[in-house]
Amino acid sequence: MSAAAIESAHNVPNADSSDGEVLLDIRDLFCERDDRILFQHLNFKLRAGEVLQVHGSNGSGKTTLLRIICGLNDSYQGAIYWQGTEVVEHLEDFYSALLYIGHRVGVSKVLTPVENLRWSCSLQRQRDDAAIYSALATVDLRGFEESQCFTLSAGQQQRVSLARLLLSDARLWILDEPFATLDASGVEQLEGLLSKHANSGGAVLVTTHHQLRVPKLQRLSLG
Amino acid sequence: MWLWFAKLGSPKWFYELSSKWLPWLVGAMAILLSVGVIWGLLFLPPDYQQGYSSRILIVHVAVAGTSLAFFPLMAVAGTITLVWRMKLADMVAKNAAPLGAWFSFITLATGSIWGSVSWGTWWEWTDSRLVSMLFQFFLLLGVISLRSALEDSDKAAKACALLSIVGCINVVIIKYSVEWWNTLHQPSSPVSLSPDSPNGPEFWIATGIMILAVYLFLAVSLILATRNEILVRERQAQWVQDLVRQE
Amino acid sequence: MNPTPATSTSAAFLATLRRDFLIAYKRKHDVVNPFMFFVIVVSLFPVGISPDPVKLAEIAAGVIWIAVLLASMLSMDSLYRADFEDGSLEQLLLSPHPLYFMVLAKNISHWLVSGLPVVLISPILAYMLNLPAAAYFTLLLSLLIGTPILSLLGSIAVALTVGLGSRGLILAVITLPMSVPVLIFGTLAVQASVNTMSPAGYLALMLAMLAAAISLGPLASAAALRISVD
Repeated sequence: MSAAAIESAHNVPNADSSDGEVLLDIRDLFCERDDRILFQHLNFKLRAGEVLQVHGSNGSGKTTLLRIICGLNDSYQGAIYWQGTEVVEHLEDFYSALLYIGHRVGVSKVLTPVENLRWSCSLQRQRDDAAIYSALATVDLRGFEESQCFTLSAGQQQRVSLARLLLSDARLWILDEPFATLDASGVEQLEGLLSKHANSGGAVLVTTHHQLRVPKLQRLSLG
Repeated sequence: MWLWFAKLGSPKWFYELSSKWLPWLVGAMAILLSVGVIWGLLFLPPDYQQGYSSRILIVHVAVAGTSLAFFPLMAVAGTITLVWRMKLADMVAKNAAPLGAWFSFITLATGSIWGSVSWGTWWEWTDSRLVSMLFQFFLLLGVISLRSALEDSDKAAKACALLSIVGCINVVIIKYSVEWWNTLHQPSSPVSLSPDSPNGPEFWIATGIMILAVYLFLAVSLILATRNEILVRERQAQWVQDLVRQE
Repeated sequence: MNPTPATSTSAAFLATLRRDFLIAYKRKHDVVNPFMFFVIVVSLFPVGISPDPVKLAEIAAGVIWIAVLLASMLSMDSLYRADFEDGSLEQLLLSPHPLYFMVLAKNISHWLVSGLPVVLISPILAYMLNLPAAAYFTLLLSLLIGTPILSLLGSIAVALTVGLGSRGLILAVITLPMSVPVLIFGTLAVQASVNTMSPAGYLALMLAMLAAAISLGPLASAAALRISVD
């Protein structure tokens, strides 16, 4: 057990004040991987209107934490509550409200951006093609709508996944290194999206090494 | 709380409990095994039909019967691994797979040695038991290679648990379909060629002793292997460190 | 923020089906290669064993079934691999719909594009192997029932191994022994027809296996995917 891991237990965000409704409530999370304790006694709350940035060095378990909250990784102990009910008991409700973008952005390379987005939307909320085209235009992919994604650069593929943020009405965004391949204008745009989402009552959990410029930013450091 | 208990309590508890039981199990196994082997293989009167070759059957039947226990055992352990995430169950399952493969292999080997004398051939596709044992052997090899291919031990545990459950259902279906297949391809297969035909009470007593002995052997091997596994996986734990210091 | 009007499961099911068709259409080699493999393997047998029509007729059912088994196993590899690599699989796992139906959709589209063509070409190959004409229909039926079972079984093994870098052979070691019952009843049905007996019993048994595979297979695949993505 590392000293840093204990520190993170006390490093509970939103100590200041908070008026927003508690959306996500993490209680006493413990995770061990390959005989190494990544974190323990991890507690935090994420309220509506907040952006929570998880940071820590490489290998400190940021990605693991996000995947645990999403339910992609179940080797943990502790409890995760979504709007007051435990996630594992109401997985469907939680997944209706969740949008996750991981390291692998979930964009099929053989499909076009439009085809990709049609499928993603069909899983959560149906959107018509007009909405999809306008979302793609917003993320600066006008003209690439019908090209297969393997012809796009990594940054452009990332932008396809960002278009999902525009199309979804999920309340909770969990984003793992969304800034990694974005250029300056992309970064600015994403920051704008995060702020807008928070302002309209959503919540964001994000890992990045980038210095985020959004209001009501909370921080959680791991390891 | 229960998860914590299962995770932290069990391996130590098992290690200590098995330390107490092991001498008794080993003793019983040694006695039964030597009685079975010496009496069964050296002094048992020859079968009036099969002659001395019937003595091989004592080993064969005992090992074969034990081999059938592996998939159910692994499936139960797998269910425990997946549902309750008990580490101990996976340690048992991990060691059961290679042991099961060896048992299946020995079943096939002793079966074909017996067959070479009784049927005049080392391999006979018309014996459904040998054929389904062959496929069980393959399935066990599949579980073992899946385990060795997956590097993350936690993932390997769950994947093998699932495969064991699927495999267990499959082994049953294979067994019945092979039997069916066999009766159709060999409608006149003489009953006296099946490997449990020798009669006489001595044969059955010897086989019974041998079955008990082999089951005990299975239990002892599994316990020893699991104890090793516990020490390796729990090497960070305080009680293992203490144990090492005592030695 | 409006409450999320989630899509219906049937809409998500159809969208997943459509998406996989689209991917198959764009990655034709994934579909064509197993098919070609099947045709080539079957045509190797006469060369390797004997051109004698009588001998060929005897082994025809088995040869076709084993070739189907191998082709199906090879084609399975593409079922989840690309989705795993690009992260679409995570999106599938995080959809609010029961994973059972999503996996079933993927299995169905995969079978339609890679299993069905093999089934449909089989009478031609059966003719080339001199299988008695009376057995064509049974062969077709048995393959029609049997290949989905193989796909559903293979899906479990592929889902378990999807994270592995090289897994061609481990897939074979896991799936081939599991396919033995299908092989047995498939060939028995065809043989029954060859011997002018009714194959109905075997086909009924295969239907029962198919029913079990449809109800349990996607559940096991879904569990396996959750393990592999972890």
